[in-house]
Amino acid sequence: MPFSKNKILQVAVVVLRVVLGGIFIYAGYVKLAEPWQLFAAGIADYEVVPMWAAKFLAHTLPWFEVLAGVLLIAGRWFRTSTVSTSLLLLVFFSLMVRAFAGGKEINCGCFGPNEPISWKTLVRDGSMLAVSLFLTAIAFRNRRKPA
Amino acid sequence: MKILALALAALLPCLAAGLDVDKGKTMGDPAAPMLFELYSDFSCPACKTLHENVLRTIVQDYVRTGKAYLVFREFPLNIPAHVYSRPAAAFAVAAARIGKYQTVSDALFRNQQAWSVNGKVWETVAGVLTPEEQKRVQVLAKDPAVLAEVQRDVDRGMQAVLTQTPTLMVTYKLRQQPWAQFGDYSLFRGYIDALLKK
Repeated sequence: MPFSKNKILQVAVVVLRVVLGGIFIYAGYVKLAEPWQLFAAGIADYEVVPMWAAKFLAHTLPWFEVLAGVLLIAGRWFRTSTVSTSLLLLVFFSLMVRAFAGGKEINCGCFGPNEPISWKTLVRDGSMLAVSLFLTAIAFRNRRKPA
Repeated sequence: MKILALALAALLPCLAAGLDVDKGKTMGDPAAPMLFELYSDFSCPACKTLHENVLRTIVQDYVRTGKAYLVFREFPLNIPAHVYSRPAAAFAVAAARIGKYQTVSDALFRNQQAWSVNGKVWETVAGVLTPEEQKRVQVLAKDPAVLAEVQRDVDRGMQAVLTQTPTLMVTYKLRQQPWAQFGDYSLFRGYIDALLKK
């Protein structure tokens, strides 16, 4: 029996949800596994927020990433979780592009330390952003047209 | 397996520092559990700030207390504004051979704004040495072994993918982590203390 387009889309959404959720959980975990000061230093390197804000974000952001990942995988509060991950990735990606275009040779800080911003990291995070935006669009489309 | 890892961890500072480091470019106990390798460029303003304001505190908190072994590494940036960085590094390494590394690096950082513009690197170095020391440092600064030592430090930094100067490469329990954020010392101290508690 051939798969309908709708069925393929449903499977793709589940797979992308789990993959993106897993990536978010991993990103949060590797930051939590290190002393928080390391992530704070990474945030400060971007020279966008003051040090007190970098410290606050270093304490909170990894937990938020884990929570967003868990919600994505569980499929709970789908619109909230996809909007959150999209906004987060949009901010991360913009900051990375800004740093890269400005010639700043700093670490990405995406998945722990020692990963300088490069074309590779931009393509990777850009792809994650595209997936997250796709899931957000699906989440809101499903709201209008419940399956 | 755990014993092997512990043995390697204990050996790492010796392996990392003992093979290619002039003792004149080190501070502290080589057997300290943590290794700090400070990559600097004598023309870099941030390196001057670190050297003159923060380094003393790092030495006091971690090197003098036996927690870390500090190794100074040369990382002259290959950019037009830092055209005198490499000669300065060569003089500093040459001075290390006669036990005058700290004296010369203090002078180079203190007068950075002058020699990095007018190119009077030797005059700056000579100013803190006796005539006898001057003769020895001048000869040593042209010694291929000294020039190779500078290049070795640069290569080492490139291998570690350093993205800026100054960078303090922290090695602890077989793990290396570069640290370049010195604006808030409490952040650095918190990080190192957290590592030492692990």
